[in-house]
Amino acid sequence: MNEEPTDDTPPPPLPGQPKPSPGTPRDESAHNRSQAGFVEMEGDKTISNTINTLLRKPLSLVYTIEMEKRADGRKILLRLLCISITCLAIFGLVVGTFSWNHQLWAAPLKIVGGLLFSGLLCLPSLYIFACLGGLDARFRTIVGILCGLIALSGLLLVGFAPVVWLFSVSSTSVTFLGFLLLTLWIICASLGLALVFRAGRALGMTNTGHLVVWCGVFLLVTLQMSTTLRPILGSQQGEKLVDFGEKKFFLSYWGEQLRGEHRENLREKEQ
Amino acid sequence: MPQDPYHILPIPALCRGEQALLSSWIEGTRPGSLRICAILIILGCGAYGFTIGYRNGWEMAAWVALKLPAIIFLTLFVNGLLNGMIGLILGSGIGFRQSLQFLLTGFAIMSVIVGALSPVTLFATLNMPAPGAENSLEWHALNLLLHTAIIAFAGTLAHWRLLQYVRAFANSRRTGTFTFCAWLAGNLFVGAQISWNLRPFFISPGLEVEFLRSDPFDGSFYEAVFHAFRKISPL
Repeated sequence: MNEEPTDDTPPPPLPGQPKPSPGTPRDESAHNRSQAGFVEMEGDKTISNTINTLLRKPLSLVYTIEMEKRADGRKILLRLLCISITCLAIFGLVVGTFSWNHQLWAAPLKIVGGLLFSGLLCLPSLYIFACLGGLDARFRTIVGILCGLIALSGLLLVGFAPVVWLFSVSSTSVTFLGFLLLTLWIICASLGLALVFRAGRALGMTNTGHLVVWCGVFLLVTLQMSTTLRPILGSQQGEKLVDFGEKKFFLSYWGEQLRGEHRENLREKEQ
Repeated sequence: MPQDPYHILPIPALCRGEQALLSSWIEGTRPGSLRICAILIILGCGAYGFTIGYRNGWEMAAWVALKLPAIIFLTLFVNGLLNGMIGLILGSGIGFRQSLQFLLTGFAIMSVIVGALSPVTLFATLNMPAPGAENSLEWHALNLLLHTAIIAFAGTLAHWRLLQYVRAFANSRRTGTFTFCAWLAGNLFVGAQISWNLRPFFISPGLEVEFLRSDPFDGSFYEAVFHAFRKISPL
């Protein structure tokens, strides 16, 4: 006589599948990777689906670049670059509306160019530091991780664009808006940098300490780049797009801006 | 026939610390390992040295690009016999060729790290005011601190990796650790003096750009440190 199945009864095997023997060990590494989202990309490989995947399951993009055919990986890289350029240009346009005139095209150009150049400067060290941590991946995968970082940060900055616009039309303080933009950049970049750590772990990194150092270097380079390409906010001084003549460290430049604005406020109060 | 995964410059495998690569180098089954390490040191330290010297112009950049790898090769040349003997005397079983391979591997890792950071240091140099500008002393101090931190970071990482290798290949962990510490002490001692002889690497404000100072063999690094200490000491 057949017994009634209970909650503890294991499900019957699928037709054609061998019965699992008790105590068979699972592939922990593959299981962990799939839990982390390092799986094949779902849906079509279009720009809109790439954006969707970048926000929901960014490791799928890294999977495609690393595991699939070279042509597919290259297409994903190009799409990530396009997303980066577009998002940063939109954000730059919103930033340019603070000062209007030349800054409507200068600010997007500087933000896009500056961030991509910063990524290029930091790419060799990302590859080496990732290898030092035990990562086993192709160079183009590292390029993909970096493009993913910049694209994700750009997408998040576009999300903050209405907030920036609100403050740019409400406030006339260059210093306040400058610090707001820097704070937003650090927040968005931090979320993008989390992708670097996740991708590193999915690709076999055992020690992420080196990446922490790299993240510090990347942030410092982007912060200094914002000072090198000044002014991004406020009006252009003279005809030059960028003045490389006067060189300043970003902390001393911010300090000057704070002190300069404080002195102006005091003068206005005295008048 | 499968392609050799370590062809040309095996930078990723070296950075990951792949045992197969290092075993083939130490056991001598893979030819050209010393040459590969030498190339990595020349390229990595050369690129980084260029960015150090560039603050004082192209000439200084070229000279430091030559001198930085030279410090490593001269240190290993001076200490080569000693390093090999230490490896044998301390019971690690690491002979002359193997000790040279270990040390070159460690320096190659360091060179790869500083070479990878050279675009960032070049960017930092380009963002510093020229040496004769306002606040030149402060910028000179910042420049010194930046490069000291980078070299210390790269050196620490590379030597930590080297320690793991030596412990793995030595007859025991204990003898491997002692051998490594002895090599480190000897190379630091000699390396500091060779750096002193090959100075300048950074041009202090007010001094001329030169390949070597007019008195490169007059005095030593340790005498200079002692005299500097006496100047600030109340004794």
